[in-house]
Amino acid sequence: MTITSAIGAIFMFPIGAIIRLCVALRIHPNVLTFVGVCINLAAAWALGVGSFVLAGAIMVAANLFDFIDGKVAHLSGTASEFGGFWDSVMDRFSDLALFLGLVYLYASLQRADYVLVTALAMTFTVLTSYTRARAESLIDKCKVGFMERPERIVLFMIGAFTNRMAAVLWVILVLSVLTVAGRIFHTWRELEGRKVAA
Amino acid sequence: MTGRRPSLEERLPLPALGVWRVLFWTYDRTTIPYDLMVIAILAFVWLTPPDWLGDPTAHGLGLLGWFVGR
Repeated sequence: MTITSAIGAIFMFPIGAIIRLCVALRIHPNVLTFVGVCINLAAAWALGVGSFVLAGAIMVAANLFDFIDGKVAHLSGTASEFGGFWDSVMDRFSDLALFLGLVYLYASLQRADYVLVTALAMTFTVLTSYTRARAESLIDKCKVGFMERPERIVLFMIGAFTNRMAAVLWVILVLSVLTVAGRIFHTWRELEGRKVAA
Repeated sequence: MTGRRPSLEERLPLPALGVWRVLFWTYDRTTIPYDLMVIAILAFVWLTPPDWLGDPTAHGLGLLGWFVGR
């Protein structure tokens, strides 16, 4: 067992109970997704005013909803294609809201350098999901690159709780650039491979 | 001879292959390489002094300063 799988197993105990409760209460997963986004907007506001610990706590609550919606959909038999689409769109909205909170914070602190770092990280975050979505319309799978949404969210929480948001932004930026580049390279290689095979 | 051209990964020497595997990440979550990457990221986040990065919301040498007694 790896360290990350052990941590995941510990957190799954309470989350499993919440998932079963949501299924028993017949809460629609699309509602859970929407509630998660609304809570994330509050986290973005807390980031914007520099209340990092509060933002971290709100992010935990928001992403709990975000994490369980898919599982609730699966267990309650309410999974749908629209649900997957709705979830993806709302995820992008939540991501952008958190980054915009930081852009506002750094702008109000007159730190143009970190406004730029945050804006670049935000740009490559959007490109990370776009490259995969577009690639998977051409090839079977494009699941390469380290910096996906769960990693980003956990990093945001670590940055907020320990007041190390600048370091977190650099990590998100650099690894998102590598993820986007990796996805472009992987897609190119798969498509070139097809040409050779044909 | 019509042998298959070796892929980039097959042609790289071992140290360069290690760097390539980190840059072109294909490992799943909850694997040993994933754990090592997480440790490296956390070390960077917590050990890099905020002053070195010009952190707008944190100051000082952080954990590194605590370790070296400053």
